[in-house]
Amino acid sequence: MPGSVTYVLWPLTLLAQVGVVVCSLRGHSFRKYLALNLYMLSSFFAAILRFSILSQYGFSSKEYFYFYYYSEALLTVCLFFGLISLYTNVLTELKAERLVHLAATLLLLATALFSYLVIRQSANKMLTHFVVEMSQNLYFVGLVLTYVLWGAIMKLRETRTRLIQLVLSTGLYFSAFAAIYALRNLYPSLHAIWGYLPPLIALALPVAWGYAFWRVPEEARLAPARLAVVPR
Amino acid sequence: MSRKLAVLFLAMLILVGAMSLKTVVTTHGDGSVVMANAGGPVPPSPWKNAGGPVPPSPWKNAGGPVPPSPWK
Repeated sequence: MPGSVTYVLWPLTLLAQVGVVVCSLRGHSFRKYLALNLYMLSSFFAAILRFSILSQYGFSSKEYFYFYYYSEALLTVCLFFGLISLYTNVLTELKAERLVHLAATLLLLATALFSYLVIRQSANKMLTHFVVEMSQNLYFVGLVLTYVLWGAIMKLRETRTRLIQLVLSTGLYFSAFAAIYALRNLYPSLHAIWGYLPPLIALALPVAWGYAFWRVPEEARLAPARLAVVPR
Repeated sequence: MSRKLAVLFLAMLILVGAMSLKTVVTTHGDGSVVMANAGGPVPPSPWKNAGGPVPPSPWKNAGGPVPPSPWK
């Protein structure tokens, strides 16, 4: 059964998600970061529906089980598109939007195909296994994509503070999940600790994005020297 | 054309990198899954046969007693 920490952090995460959208609307950035805001909104509504199903059918119900994993997969795809929108923002001066969209589509299709090849031997509940496998694979694709994006930011000497804050917080989010997953497998005896960390990280992402929209103006710039050391 | 091929190559490279990373991270894993979007208690993994109305494990194709693990 889920711990009480989950139930404390869950409403806080919902508040933070609404906060992201409100701060974004307040700063007239909703359309500029449309994919990120849509991800936050869908995450918020998915959480409301999850809570409704959980309270109606219970934690061990099939309804909650299926809704949780299917909504998780859809949200992961939304987050993937959010990440791609950050790519479009970073590479906007190179006019590489079409190539970014082509690469994103190819990557999504290839991930789906790979996930299908992994689970194709499971005769029962193939769709459920596909959805979970795809969701897991997209997490790791997102992780690698974020690091590649950070490399592009360094290379292009990107100076937009808000964009950098958004990319870094997304990178931390993906990295923390991968690290927790690996540590949980390495030290399964510390199961209690690993159970508390994922809801904390799930809360940290909307808080970091909300901070970026609330406190960092769109015009704010970082000096390139603070991002990369220039050889003399 | 070459730019499109470069994009294709990069996409495949990222996929290979991500799946390699996943393999490293999930080595010796207990079948649990990474779930974080939208919060809420995580239901039992579909890869585990413990508690709750979990669908059959994808690694079992039929019933019967499980033979000893080759790693023991």
